[in-house]
Amino acid sequence: MKLTKRSQLRDAHTLAGAYAMDAVSAPDRERFERHMIGCAECAREVASLREATAMLGTAAAEPVPAGLKERIMAAAAVTRQQPPAAETEPVVLARGTWTRAGGWFRSLAWPGRLALATAGTAAAAVIAVAVVFGIANSSMQQQIDRAQASSQQIAVVLTAQDARMATGTVVGGGTATIVMSHSRHALVFTAQGLHALPASRGYELWLIGPAGARPVAMLPAGSPGMTGPVIASGVRPGDHLALTAEPADGSAHPDTPMMIDMDL
Amino acid sequence: MTTTGSQEPRNRPRPGPPAPAGADLAAQIALVARGEAAAFDAIFEQIGPSVYGAVKRVIRDPAQSEEVTQEVMLEVWRSASKFDAGRGSAKAWVMTLAHRRAVDRVRSVQKEAERERRVATAEIPFDEVIEAVESSLERERVRRCLGSLTEVQRESVTLAYYRGYTYGQVASLLSVPTGTVKTRMRDALIRLRDCLGVAE
Repeated sequence: MKLTKRSQLRDAHTLAGAYAMDAVSAPDRERFERHMIGCAECAREVASLREATAMLGTAAAEPVPAGLKERIMAAAAVTRQQPPAAETEPVVLARGTWTRAGGWFRSLAWPGRLALATAGTAAAAVIAVAVVFGIANSSMQQQIDRAQASSQQIAVVLTAQDARMATGTVVGGGTATIVMSHSRHALVFTAQGLHALPASRGYELWLIGPAGARPVAMLPAGSPGMTGPVIASGVRPGDHLALTAEPADGSAHPDTPMMIDMDL
Repeated sequence: MTTTGSQEPRNRPRPGPPAPAGADLAAQIALVARGEAAAFDAIFEQIGPSVYGAVKRVIRDPAQSEEVTQEVMLEVWRSASKFDAGRGSAKAWVMTLAHRRAVDRVRSVQKEAERERRVATAEIPFDEVIEAVESSLERERVRRCLGSLTEVQRESVTLAYYRGYTYGQVASLLSVPTGTVKTRMRDALIRLRDCLGVAE
């Protein structure tokens, strides 16, 4: 028995190399990870061998395909980060979410990323508020469902293989940024620094095709700074995206001059 | 259609901010943990090509390699706060995530039996590792150190790392007992580590 145990131990130890290269089956991996918990020496060895395997990896570096970085950055902007281990209270969690969004606001160089950052955090914040106050009534539930559905739709556009970003200047002040995916027939719209409108009026987003203009949505009113993100689905080939100022409850047709008109 | 707004050339992604040259990866990861997207951009500039290249070595298919690269980078973004500099370099942390994801991807899509069959007919990839390698100081060093291994050690390492094979598969491919392959893999990595002058 003693011999078996010793040979098992030696066996586990020699697995360090294979483990460091992920050259182990799933059961082997699990067994070795259990073994490492009680074997600081093994863990140290694996860590040092991984410095070597990392070099094997970097030696294989090659240029990344065009657009990959943009997709990754856009996806990160709507992906919540794990808190550090010390974070505990749910209340802090909710506040941390907002603070982090603020951090993005200051540091981001892409207007699009900056605006899109709130898509995920808006959903997260609604949920956090619900959790903190123990609210689970149906209207709150609907709000959560809507927020989640919308950030899911947004994520689908942002992570699409053909997602492309474009920006345009809004007449009267501000910048609009869109991420468009033709394969998903959808786009995500955000704007920054839009001129504030009187309470009776609001910004309305349109898709304009050969058959006429289709209203997409009223932009959420209020916040100076950043507006959106708003998802526009059902985009057809040849559509343009337009923005106008309309009565606050929306129009069926754009009545005022277009403040932006972007080819899609 | 009257165009009343000016716009950038359509459908062109805007370039991100330039990465600070030679920025320390670990420091950038600490910034990413605080939600700094600019630091994440810098990390991608620095290590994205390595992640993509290593992943593609294992997976081969460019589209799938892109997907896995995206998963890896998002994992870095999500779990930046979990990175512990006391347990290894930031580069090793990211590359470990990358390699494991790539290996998990090929193993999940390929039935083991099928893979066993394919492995038996695969050629030894050492030349291909050496060939596509542009000259850079680091690559040169890796190449030299790989060259200092015995042939079986080198084959074991390249089949495992660049092909994503398990030691069992490598053993059947090289017709040597599994125990021997395990030992050679460990010996080979220790030698590589010492030759490359990395860690401990």
